[in-house]
Amino acid sequence: MKVSFSLWLYGHLILPREQTRYATRRLLRSIVLIAVVMVPLVLALIFMDGMMSGITDKYILLQDGHIQIYVSPEEELLLNDFNDARIASADQVVTGYGIIYSRETTAEVKIKGVETTYFNEMRREQLEFTGEPLSQEGSLTTVMISEVLSKTLGVGIGDRVAFMIVPENTSRTGIRPVLAVVSALYASGYHELDSSLIFMNRKDAVKYFPQRQNSYTELLVKGSAVDQLAAIIETLQVKFAQDFDYATWDEFNTTVYQNFITSRQVILMVFLLILLVAGVYVASIAQELVQDSMQAIALFKTVGALHTQLIASYFATVMTVTLLGLLCGMVIGVLIGSQLGVLLHWLGSSKIAGLQYYLLDFPIIIKWKDLLLIGLSMLGISSVTVLCTLHRIRVISPLEVLQQD
Amino acid sequence: MSEQLLRFESVTKTYISGESRLVILEDLDLSVPSGTSVAITGKSGSGKSTLLNLAGGLDKPTAGSVLFLGRNVGKMHDKALSAFRNRHIGFVFQSHILLEDFNALENVCVPALIRGDGRQATIQRATQLLKRVGLADRLDHRPQKLSGGERQRVAICRALINQPDLIIADEPTGSLDEASASDIETLLLEMVKEEGRTLLLVTHNPLLAARCSSVYLLQNRQLQEGP
Repeated sequence: MKVSFSLWLYGHLILPREQTRYATRRLLRSIVLIAVVMVPLVLALIFMDGMMSGITDKYILLQDGHIQIYVSPEEELLLNDFNDARIASADQVVTGYGIIYSRETTAEVKIKGVETTYFNEMRREQLEFTGEPLSQEGSLTTVMISEVLSKTLGVGIGDRVAFMIVPENTSRTGIRPVLAVVSALYASGYHELDSSLIFMNRKDAVKYFPQRQNSYTELLVKGSAVDQLAAIIETLQVKFAQDFDYATWDEFNTTVYQNFITSRQVILMVFLLILLVAGVYVASIAQELVQDSMQAIALFKTVGALHTQLIASYFATVMTVTLLGLLCGMVIGVLIGSQLGVLLHWLGSSKIAGLQYYLLDFPIIIKWKDLLLIGLSMLGISSVTVLCTLHRIRVISPLEVLQQD
Repeated sequence: MSEQLLRFESVTKTYISGESRLVILEDLDLSVPSGTSVAITGKSGSGKSTLLNLAGGLDKPTAGSVLFLGRNVGKMHDKALSAFRNRHIGFVFQSHILLEDFNALENVCVPALIRGDGRQATIQRATQLLKRVGLADRLDHRPQKLSGGERQRVAICRALINQPDLIIADEPTGSLDEASASDIETLLLEMVKEEGRTLLLVTHNPLLAARCSSVYLLQNRQLQEGP
């Protein structure tokens, strides 16, 4: 196949002359329309990844850590001194469940007993505090509740609340009332988590949840090592020369984790359907281009052009338009996406009731691999639809040039 | 004796539409020697254009053989037919059929570019041809800026750019006024002679037919020699 003719024809198709303004406008319109399809896809991807990452971070940093390790009290101390560059922190934690009472209402809560060192820099980035976390004044147990719970219960700093703590796996059948004072408020920004998580001093929590299974060491790993949880656990097993019980955050939050996975898969399926529709639109560009060039194609065939040469030129033209639209859409999408935080902040302050259940303060994450996947999918789908459409060139007979003679 | 460039041997062409069967050419024979000019005349609808289509490899006979330099054109597959048309045939149609988005020079270059000729050499030859037909100052003009006669001159140059063995012209002056038609007829015959090509021409014009080496009348699906 002679490539020079195909290239020459491609040059004419992709850069129509001044005299053929309609053709130029058509190409520009196609680029704009493809970009318009791509922008919301890119934005949705950035929003979805950012939101999921943000919620995951909240759960990991405030509720479960990356890994929970159940070892003996002696070994907990060893864990504290365990030096591994991948581990950001190791904190001893006691957890249990109870019902919190205020004068007005009640709420089921997860009680987390931690040391004040628990609120390290990584965790403080996720929280806003009112008052000093877990400060101890007087003999009463102090708790830090969320602002969400504070509003639900109608209590503030300095107010007293009562707990009903249900002992787990003990021979005692009764429940135990506890009086506590609210010493500080926190806000993580995620309503779902805030509405059920409260913090208290670990030494107090141990009193209420003395069972061994309520205590564990919560490991946070550094960002670069989040994909190496299994390797870290293996290293720890070697260190302690024994098997110990452990759980990773996704095992503890199977529902949340599976929801993320399912949501992501569903959204990617929706993306695929949108890309299929976009592919059909791209095919219509090819169809329009061929329709307008019927006589030219017939003439090219009359004077000896192979349909492969013609298909190559028209295919390259339509795919160039698709690629340009795709790139424009992605660039605009990423630019708008990088400013999504401003938009969400504005939405967050708009007092729209439904928004409280969403996480509106999350890091903007641009997953280039996913963007590349979307781009390649778009090109792949378009290639197939365009080639199917350009099959029409094969059936245009050179005789058609004479029918218009 | 001249070499036979084109031969029709017992060619029949039938079109079938639904249940009706239309015989256009029947058991037709024709020999076109190399370097000659052959005119085909006949009434409208007599099958002249069909004959040209068969000669140019644009259509295939229902029966019989169309032989070009001994090769059966009707048996060629699409790719070979495309190459055959590109290298051996130059077409001049009644209405010029030029590419509206391309200028005169580019229109002439198309067959050579399809053949894979170098761009510079192609442009040089196309320019020479356009100068020869008096369009030296119209190289970058688009068809809509050219007169009917000028467009047909461009079409003649396009037919000649690949130095084909056979020029097929279907009523080349049919859409021109008398003065322009006469100019184009003279130019076509001169250039075919200069370039040493063979011409197969369909015309209603008896004066133009008379200027060709041989004349055939297509009547009742058969060719008869002489006007």
